[in-house]
Amino acid sequence: MMIRFYLDGQLVEVDVKPTDTLLKVLVDKLGLTSVHYGCGEGSCGACMVLVDDKLRYSCLTFAASVNDKKVTTVAGLLSDHELSPLQKKFVENNAAQCGYCTPGMVLVAKALLDKNPSPSDEEIFDALAGNLCRCTGYVPIVKAVKSAARR
Amino acid sequence: MKNMITLILVFFGLVTALKEINESFLMPESVNKALQLKKLYRDSALVVSGGTASVQLVTKMLISPAAIISLENLPLNYVKKKGNMIEIGATTTAAEILESDGVPNCLLEAAKGIHGLALKQNATIGGNIFTPAPGGDMATALLSLDAQLIMSSSRGRRIVPLTKFYKGPLTYNIRSDELLIAIRIGKPPKHSMFMKQSIYKYGGQTLASVSVALDSVDKVKRVGVAVGGLTPHPYRASRVEKMLLGQKISEELIETTAQNVAEEASDTGLVSREYLRHLAGVLYKRILTRLTSSR
Ligand SMILES: Cc1cc2nc3c(=O)[nH]c(=O)nc-3n(C[C@H](O)[C@H](O)[C@H](O)COP(=O)(O)OP(=O)(O)OC[C@H]3O[C@@H](n4cnc5c(N)ncnc54)[C@H](O)[C@@H]3O)c2cc1C
Ligand code: FES
Ligand code: FES
Repeated sequence: MMIRFYLDGQLVEVDVKPTDTLLKVLVDKLGLTSVHYGCGEGSCGACMVLVDDKLRYSCLTFAASVNDKKVTTVAGLLSDHELSPLQKKFVENNAAQCGYCTPGMVLVAKALLDKNPSPSDEEIFDALAGNLCRCTGYVPIVKAVKSAARR
Repeated sequence: MKNMITLILVFFGLVTALKEINESFLMPESVNKALQLKKLYRDSALVVSGGTASVQLVTKMLISPAAIISLENLPLNYVKKKGNMIEIGATTTAAEILESDGVPNCLLEAAKGIHGLALKQNATIGGNIFTPAPGGDMATALLSLDAQLIMSSSRGRRIVPLTKFYKGPLTYNIRSDELLIAIRIGKPPKHSMFMKQSIYKYGGQTLASVSVALDSVDKVKRVGVAVGGLTPHPYRASRVEKMLLGQKISEELIETTAQNVAEEASDTGLVSREYLRHLAGVLYKRILTRLTSSR
């Protein structure tokens, strides 16, 4: 079946099977590198995207369900090839090492800050609880989110 | 007779044609349409609410449904007060529950305990009721609250108490043409609390959970004690409830009743059944101690 959706601001049309996940379509069919496959079962958060303004594990989302919707990956946060202020805080705080978890971390942090511009440490830990990082030990990530928050 | 046969053939032809056309992803916009589709496909369709448990069934090739019916576009995400009752639409997410007024404390705590913002924004209360351990935290809270489930089909509505919903592992009191539409909680009791133990503080699977709802700590007239994680679906610790009824809750009573909280436990492969039973007792004691400390 053909579906159409806005991917990081651009309208795309793609033929999908009803059982294809959004992750499979974004990575295998559309060749994106801004979405990562980690576990395929909701345990790592590397595949995170925003559908309209809601966080979605793309591995737990059927591609057909985003028809006519807006899908944002971490690449969609850039404007004119410039990193967003939140992404800059990740760079400044060395919050990305291998970078595999980074798209998910940034998108969850964005969703959190959009709702709650000055979260407590506890709220940051709680929001990021579904995202695993094998490299940083989480401290620089939490620091990055805190420095992007309104104080 | 000939007419009859033609009619039957046309009917089957129609059904097959419809199935062929719809052998796909269906996203009904109205409850009536969803119920028609459920009636047509019955158990051959996979119903998807938030998708956090159901999508994996397909990607891991555990099932191969004839169609996928997504409930995402149904107007069933709401928390409404109806007189003394609270009604929660089946597709209401944990995040939406946390933003709503009038939700009993134990259900708020269960929703809060679902790890991570992404899961909170997708895990629906309806889906939670169907998800076996280590899922089902909100179901445990609802069970302690004597929640009732509103099942709907194109034939009409049926109310099923949650206490009568679980018939065995992954076996539910729901008919093949029905969908769970909403959950009702009658006048919530004065006190309620949910606690769980998971593998890590922030994340990891729920090992055991306990939820207690109670009208008074001085003379118990109504009480619900539900235990999750020990069995595939949560159960009511009815022996404990009987021991609490009519009593003033004292330290001693908490201690003696705690021995009876873990009625059963299955090996989860993560931890031993002895440890699960121990956890249930500890969580129960912590809850009652907290609830009575505000006396
Ligand atoms: C990494 C991870 C961590 C998790 N952690 C927790 C946790 O801490 N606590 C917890 O409780 N759960 C947890 N879960 C389990 C799960 O996410 C939740 O139980 C969630 O609430 C399921 O809801 P859903 O909307 O995603 O259901 P879905 O996956 O969409 O559906 C689950 C089942 O219910 C059926 N169903 C759903 N809605 C209806 C309806 N209205 N009528 C009829 N049938 C229906 C579906 O057909 C399916 O079989 C976790 C899952 C993952 C992947
Ligand atoms: S790949 Fe989706 S959560 Fe790990
Ligand atoms: S930076 Fe490597 S997994 Fe997080």
